[in-house]
Amino acid sequence: MEAYAVQAVHGVVYGMLLFLVTSGLTLVFGMMGVLNMAHAAFYMVGAYFTYSLVQWTGSFWLCLLLAPIGVGIIGAFVERALLRKVHTFGHAHELMLTFGIFYILAEVVKWIWGTYPLTVVAPDVLNGSVPFLSATYPTYRLFILLVSVIVLFILAFIMQKTRIGIIVRAAVFDNEMVDILGVNVQLVFLGVFSIGSALAGLAGVVAAPFLSTYPGMGLEILVDAFVVIVIGGFGSVWGALLAALMIGELQSFGIMLIPELALVFQFLLMAIVLVWRPQGLFGESA
Amino acid sequence: MTHTRTKNVLTVLIVLAALVVLPYLLTEVQLNMAIEIAFFSLFAVSYNLLLGYGGVLSFGHAAYFGTGAYFMVFALKYVAGMPILPAVLVSGVAAGLTAAIVGFFCVRLGGSYFALLTLAFNQLIYAIALKWRSLTGGDDGIGLDKHDMYLPFVGNLDTMSTFTVYYLTVIIVLISLWLIRFFLKTPYGNTVACVKDNEERAAFIGYNVFRSKLVLFTMAGFFAGIAGALFAFFEEFVSLDSINMAMSTEVLFMAFIGGTGSFLGPVLGAAVFIYFTEWVSDITEHWEFFLGVLFVLLILYANRGIIGLIPEKIKNFWSPRSASAGER
Repeated sequence: MEAYAVQAVHGVVYGMLLFLVTSGLTLVFGMMGVLNMAHAAFYMVGAYFTYSLVQWTGSFWLCLLLAPIGVGIIGAFVERALLRKVHTFGHAHELMLTFGIFYILAEVVKWIWGTYPLTVVAPDVLNGSVPFLSATYPTYRLFILLVSVIVLFILAFIMQKTRIGIIVRAAVFDNEMVDILGVNVQLVFLGVFSIGSALAGLAGVVAAPFLSTYPGMGLEILVDAFVVIVIGGFGSVWGALLAALMIGELQSFGIMLIPELALVFQFLLMAIVLVWRPQGLFGESA
Repeated sequence: MTHTRTKNVLTVLIVLAALVVLPYLLTEVQLNMAIEIAFFSLFAVSYNLLLGYGGVLSFGHAAYFGTGAYFMVFALKYVAGMPILPAVLVSGVAAGLTAAIVGFFCVRLGGSYFALLTLAFNQLIYAIALKWRSLTGGDDGIGLDKHDMYLPFVGNLDTMSTFTVYYLTVIIVLISLWLIRFFLKTPYGNTVACVKDNEERAAFIGYNVFRSKLVLFTMAGFFAGIAGALFAFFEEFVSLDSINMAMSTEVLFMAFIGGTGSFLGPVLGAAVFIYFTEWVSDITEHWEFFLGVLFVLLILYANRGIIGLIPEKIKNFWSPRSASAGER
């Protein structure tokens, strides 16, 4: 029974990490209608920044601040210099462009850091374990949980209670009207895209000591994030949260009970949701 | 016979003659590249049925290429005395059926949804190939048992010779390309373009949009499977490389770099791509980076691909009508 409890917590931890990645993706999609495939590359770059920053400064805590800022700046450049240019060509081009950026960044990462998996060591405080039931549980996993929950609350607060949040929600609903009302929508787009990228970077930082840092990590999380979006429904934050937790648990118990088929379960769940509710659990029907 | 028609027939004859004599002019290495360009051309053209003619972006076309490649191996391995041409057909049908099932879920939804669903299903099929070790060999891949090929009136052909593989590949690719072009010119093929231009209007007029998209998706899968079978026959070996995300990426690059707006653009793209992988990789090990940069530059500044950069005058000489794809 206890093994099940531990596995369930593992599932919540991975699910929340997945939510951290997906939150930025849905934020950008809801706002700009762009499925940003480069998001997974931003996540990976965040992890690699963490590796180098820990090497130089020796402080993991600093990475939590600096790596997301660095990734956010890359994101701002991508939106301002590239994405805005192809906006008029339509969605297929925007998608292809973000994919091209994903591809280039993945190659740049290989170029700079090589193809071998790198290890990032978490600070001593987080390296231990805490008592859990009759055994112990790794502290770092609880730290991931903590960071994700804090981000969730900050996002919810900004979106619901502040003026910026009101503008963003209004722009999701009808960005032309917001533009006419005197808000600089271009600037809002730039801001949202940068913050979305920074969130991917932050997810990369917390993932670095937990999962290994290697060039395939971007694609791996991208597929999981896509499955989450399909199940949760496009642009729905609560849908993403629920779906991320479902996928986390499914993978966690899948690996424990039927390891051979663990990879397949999440796709089966996705197919079932697609047949039953094509717009996703929380998505609005098109 | 009109003037353009004569010109077209002549062009076709010259190209055919060139393809026949080509093996005698090339070195062994160059001939191998020619074979690769041939089956990747078919793969890229099948992909362009979706991107150029269907107006949808797929990130999972390797699923059908790989299915075709694996079934080619299975057919020759598990069916005693299986002739080669039927084996190629079986591979295409297997890939087409897979595409029909996946398409059932994917084609209902357009735009970004379609893109991420095709990616997810590609990963599912990849996961199956990875985990079903007893059948696919998992990470190790699986070898292809080659045997001689019997053709009526010709006799036994030695399939170990690069010449035979070349002619076989080129003939199958040409027939496939002709079939695709033929389909696109039929009234039913025209509805595809109609659906792409305005889905709502097409539905309103009375076309079954879902079925039309599903047919296109299945056909793209079928021909990708044929290309995959030729790939397996050429490599004499199939591994997860034929079915992974990288292969799906490569076909997108081939089609887009060549040009999605015309029938033969992806063929040019396949040639450019093979050039990159064979020669540019000798100059720098970071050739993939430059490939990505080329891709992004074309998206930004020339979204009709390399073929779009060729002056209209030269193009009009051959193609009287081309699909106006990729610019919406």
